[in-house]
Amino acid sequence: MEHTSLLERILRGIALTLVVIFFMFPIVWIFMMSFQTNETILRIPPQLVFKPTLANYTALITGKLTTAAGTLDIAFMRNLWNSVFLSVTSVAVALLLGVPAAYAFARHKFRGSEDIAFTLLSFRFAPALLVLLPLTLYFQKLGLANTYIGLIWVYQLICLPLILWIVRGYFEDIPADIEYAYRIAGHSWFATFRKIALPLAGPGIAAAGLLAFIFAWNNFVFALVLASADKQPVTVGALAFITSSGIQYGQISAAIVLSITPTLALALYAQRYLVEGLSLGAVKG
Amino acid sequence: MASLELRNVVKRYKSQTVLDNLSLTVADGETLVLFGPSGAGKTVLLRLVAGVIDPDEGKILIGGEDMTDLDAEFRGVGMAFQNFALFPHMTAFDNIATPLQANRSSQSAIKTGVQSVAKLLKIGHVLSHKPRALSNGQKQRTALARALVGSPPVLLLDDPLRNVDAKLRFEMRLELPRLLADRGATVVYVTQDYKEAMALGDRIAVMSQGVIKQLGTPEQIYREPANIEIARLFGDPTINLLDVKPSRDAKGIYVGLSNVQVHLAGAYETAVGRDCVIGLRPEALSFVDEGTPAAIPVTIEAETPLNEKIVTLVRTVRGREILVSRPAGTPGQTEGRAHIGVDSKSALLFDRASGDRIGSKNVVNLRSGEAA
Amino acid sequence: MTAATMQRRRPSGFRISKKVLPYVLSLPALLVCIGILIPFFTSVVYSFQRYRLSQPWARQFNWGDNYISFFTDPKFWNTLEISLLYAGITVLLELLLGLGIAMLLQKRSTLNNFISIMLLMPLMTAPALAALMWKLMTNPGFGVLSYLASLIGLQDFRWASSPSTALFTVVLVDIWVYTPFIMILLLAGLRSLPTQPFEAAALDGVPRSFVFFRITLPMLTPYILTATLFRLLDSIQQFDIIYAMTQGGPGDTLTVFQVEAYLNFFQSTNVGRSAALMIILWAITYFLSNIFIKNWLRLRERARGQA
Repeated sequence: MEHTSLLERILRGIALTLVVIFFMFPIVWIFMMSFQTNETILRIPPQLVFKPTLANYTALITGKLTTAAGTLDIAFMRNLWNSVFLSVTSVAVALLLGVPAAYAFARHKFRGSEDIAFTLLSFRFAPALLVLLPLTLYFQKLGLANTYIGLIWVYQLICLPLILWIVRGYFEDIPADIEYAYRIAGHSWFATFRKIALPLAGPGIAAAGLLAFIFAWNNFVFALVLASADKQPVTVGALAFITSSGIQYGQISAAIVLSITPTLALALYAQRYLVEGLSLGAVKG
Repeated sequence: MASLELRNVVKRYKSQTVLDNLSLTVADGETLVLFGPSGAGKTVLLRLVAGVIDPDEGKILIGGEDMTDLDAEFRGVGMAFQNFALFPHMTAFDNIATPLQANRSSQSAIKTGVQSVAKLLKIGHVLSHKPRALSNGQKQRTALARALVGSPPVLLLDDPLRNVDAKLRFEMRLELPRLLADRGATVVYVTQDYKEAMALGDRIAVMSQGVIKQLGTPEQIYREPANIEIARLFGDPTINLLDVKPSRDAKGIYVGLSNVQVHLAGAYETAVGRDCVIGLRPEALSFVDEGTPAAIPVTIEAETPLNEKIVTLVRTVRGREILVSRPAGTPGQTEGRAHIGVDSKSALLFDRASGDRIGSKNVVNLRSGEAA
Repeated sequence: MTAATMQRRRPSGFRISKKVLPYVLSLPALLVCIGILIPFFTSVVYSFQRYRLSQPWARQFNWGDNYISFFTDPKFWNTLEISLLYAGITVLLELLLGLGIAMLLQKRSTLNNFISIMLLMPLMTAPALAALMWKLMTNPGFGVLSYLASLIGLQDFRWASSPSTALFTVVLVDIWVYTPFIMILLLAGLRSLPTQPFEAAALDGVPRSFVFFRITLPMLTPYILTATLFRLLDSIQQFDIIYAMTQGGPGDTLTVFQVEAYLNFFQSTNVGRSAALMIILWAITYFLSNIFIKNWLRLRERARGQA
């Protein structure tokens, strides 16, 4: 195993380099485009060296794009805010609902608990539109169409199973004796949950929350179906932006960069937990 | 203070019965040792008393009060776990303080309480450490301190010395009885170590497969074990067990050991002609001069001096190996041929098929009656 | 010691019985989910109806008609074919690529760990945004990939806008986004394998190919199965990448199940057909997810055991 030949090392090196280029290039390229003016972007062959400009970002942030043809309004910051609000609130709700349920499933095996847990899990695998399409009709009747509340509710479809199954695993990893010891010391189940179970499962809960946030942020189809322009998150907003602004490629790139930065940053921050989260607790990283 | 009573308690896991219609009373201030192999149901019993699991049938009473439906926090018991079950995110101090915090003691009362019990258990210097910074011995003492700190009327100790090293176990075996006696609490102590059981218990309950096989003082369990299994579990070196078939002659009932007739003291009429096993504790055997009545000729194979006694392995002319023990410092043969005599009063006779002890002194044998 | 003697607490006030407690804890989550289950059943009902949003008055049960008409409907067969093709190709390529990369990165080293973290970035990019990124890069006017294609002689490579290369393009994006998923699962699997058999094989001078096929692969199988089924379940439902890239086009080149159902609902307002399509997709995923969950549970059991 140890004495690998030089040729093999070179081949491995080349293979890894190709892999890194393939997976990193799009992000790097879009990042570079976001600092270019339209003229440099449109130049052929594409430029690797250019004079960076912050104009694209300024335009997005101020919401005003001044061109030769006049001033164009950009609602992108609104989309960004929607993404933040929808993701944060959805995860908060999912944690509020999911953590106690996960605790119940982990600690008290009650009648039907496994069936219920699996039903929740099956949401993760069911086609989203199966539920979404009838839901649009219901939401219109209920007045939930194009509301944050309606969207947050539907976002539970992805956040809740994720949190439930990951956090449940972390609760199961706490030895029951530790909780028993606290109960016997004279504390109620709620005190035990708060002072023992929650702190010990804390890192897992945080990781599940971050992952749920990433999935909520990256979701596209829910808002595409259920929200109109003023409630749309970046995923849908960027698509609309590309259609409406036509040829403002620099701004589009800057919008994409702004839209993917939060999840990338969080992912790097929580990468230790990603494997376990992505496999819903089936694989430990 | 409080007595403890279990009435017809049944606990099942799926189809398996872990505790089978078990009843048990522990008097106020008494230390009862639950002794038995793992899987006997000892730990389950402790947890039922503590209230962290519920019985399927039966009642649990503490101080005469029915606690069956009360949650653990209302039962007023202290418990130390085999694996310590310390709270990993709290310091030793906070670990020990949890029972006091539960009843809303004042900060100063908590501080004095924790410090005095920590001093007693010699862990005062590590109170600021988290469990992962403690040695096994310190963890064990912290767990014990947590169980003791609130002076609970009932103390449940689940094999607390299992996971500590031999030296510490030895120390604690000496220390614990005094500690428990000082508190005056009713104690249920689980162990798999017969020496611990003998040292600590006012009474010992020998458990196996979810039932109590024998309940009695350490003395009773040792001298009158209910069956071969219990006889074998108690005693070090282990009891000598030899197949015999008792017969009768003019002088009474005797068994043949190596062509020598050894008469038994006791009422063993029912055993005549049956396949039996005789149990001879090593200390019930002694070296005697040739010519002594009923002396059994043997060859000495090996000698092992232990701390307070010397154990000799001998072989009879029939090739059976027997252990003989004598107090250290007493003279004895170390090699060659020798003769041993049997203290027939302490010989134990068991039915070979059932394993139950045969004999009139059989007061606590729960499964007697099949003898005839 | 007398200062702080444990007084037995008496139960007082409002208490939740321990039999009821788990239900109370999980009830809120369940209620929220029931709200999601109702539309599921509505979908079943719709799928048995003739229901067009444009003609609400003509809504009536036609029972199996939506399903029966699929047999003679070339558009449906196209949907089924393209969905299976898409899922099959993406998962197969991602599996091979993911396994290869995982093996390249298997040895724990600072560089390898760094690369494996870098490779997570595509996976953390929203698939819809990833599609937009690739759309920009494959733009016929200024796209860097179009330029690179022209350098190797593909002068007018149309990427997603040509029916002949549209599938290739979306598959490429899918591979870009999801290969890291398979990679990190298999990497975790590889690194959790016991080292003993490999050391023994190396000591005995067993050929590397033999080690790979007879030791590595069999031991990695549960991870491969879980990762593959996981991806298959997602891939057969792919919507984001395809919709953001081509909206199912050009023509009906890429009308996979969910895209077709979406277009049926919002463009042709044919709710009945749309619902029937979704039920069929659901049946497929239900079948797959049952196999998946069995595998996943076994693996999860094992992972928890290691904890």
